[in-house]
Amino acid sequence: MKYGYYPGCSLLSTGAEYARSAEGVLNALGVELEEINDWVCCGATPAHATSHLLSAALPAISCAAAEKQGLDVLTCCAACYNRLKQVNHQLKEDPDLLAQINDIIEEDYKASVRVLHISEVLAQDVGLEKIKAAVQKPLKGLKVASYYGCLIARMPEELRIDNVEDPRMLDDLMAAAGAEPVEWPYKTECCGAALTLAQGRTVVRLSGDVIDIAKENGADVLAVICPLCQANLDMYQTDAEARLGRQLGIPVLYFTQLLALALGLGPEQVCLDRLIVDPMPVLAEKGLVAGSVYL
Amino acid sequence: MRLELAGKALQSEFLAAVEEHSGQNVSACYQCGKCTGGCPVQPDLDLSPSRVLRFVQLGLEDKALSNETIWCCAACGTCTSRCPIGIDLVSIMDTLRAFAERKGISPPGKGDTVWTFFRSFLDGVRQFGRLSEVALMGSYNINSGRLYTNVIKAPWFVLRSKLGIMPHKIERIERLERVFQRIEEIEKK
Repeated sequence: MKYGYYPGCSLLSTGAEYARSAEGVLNALGVELEEINDWVCCGATPAHATSHLLSAALPAISCAAAEKQGLDVLTCCAACYNRLKQVNHQLKEDPDLLAQINDIIEEDYKASVRVLHISEVLAQDVGLEKIKAAVQKPLKGLKVASYYGCLIARMPEELRIDNVEDPRMLDDLMAAAGAEPVEWPYKTECCGAALTLAQGRTVVRLSGDVIDIAKENGADVLAVICPLCQANLDMYQTDAEARLGRQLGIPVLYFTQLLALALGLGPEQVCLDRLIVDPMPVLAEKGLVAGSVYL
Repeated sequence: MRLELAGKALQSEFLAAVEEHSGQNVSACYQCGKCTGGCPVQPDLDLSPSRVLRFVQLGLEDKALSNETIWCCAACGTCTSRCPIGIDLVSIMDTLRAFAERKGISPPGKGDTVWTFFRSFLDGVRQFGRLSEVALMGSYNINSGRLYTNVIKAPWFVLRSKLGIMPHKIERIERLERVFQRIEEIEKK
């Protein structure tokens, strides 16, 4: 199993713990990654919000590079996945657009690659049974609220990999790691997404509601799939607490960090010390870690 | 008389242009309000998504192109996934923003900072090929005049090594510049 790896910009900085844990988990399960040569930013919301051609051209450059390497595309970031997969599909379906984009990006892309998210590679290509068999430290007793957010769950109908209102793939992966999935109603509510810098108050309101509802339903931790969700839920949690007038204190981990922990990977792959809401107390209480990484 | 005016407005060129650009059948919207019911950002904004669609249907171009909602839409897609007749509202918001920009209508109210964020983001991508989150925060704060946005979070970025220090520049940056230029030329026409 080998894929063309598209890390995306966030995984090089704010989401470095997502990159390290994801690479560690895939490596431990025998999935090989080869980075896509000279990949460029997918353009995310700012590109499709301002220019249709730019929003198609940026993902096409990276997909064309993967095609030359003879590999399908694997990405972890929900925003990159959403843009790359949608654009790739549009290019496959619309030969005129493909010709125009090829002319603009100076490539001869055939739109032959597939774009895959790490969660579907793990749940389907690797398989839950293989993951269960590889678990060394089951996350026993840890109540995990899987938070899918918007960009994976709400793809156009023909591109969806899960149920749009009640996705299950992350819950299944968390159960395979030995955790206890929490049933809760906010798994696909929006966290405020890219409005973080421009409309911070909206983000605090939306992210606060997500954490609050997770806590109300008994979650010990949130498992997330998107670097933007992670940043909003983790970094703005104190602001959300101030707005709601009560303490939340719910650690927000990438689902790959929890998988890495269950697979027995080392601290440099699990990267618990990079989170803002300290996950150590609850993980120690469940007997999953010893001591605290923070002094 | 009122019926006649409405009938005329419903056939407006503006409605036809929005439908063509977005590929969406805006006329088919019967104002059930599901989009608005699920919209996470509309409580903070001046128009609900269903009202934006209504203004498009009525050909009220000024109202449809000058509001906070088209700019502050988070593109979460809740409206699109729940629309009973399958209208993709996210595409319509993209179209309305593109039309507003083409007409030189500056984003009102809360839309202004979002527009500044989009420009700062894309300027960074154009310069390096990949986004540097440090550079984005810096350029957003300068471009928006809100110099202290997120500064209170700075200690966390340092303590948890959240930021890559240097932007990652791609190798074929000249090709990327040609891509941006060519798209600008095409879109000017």
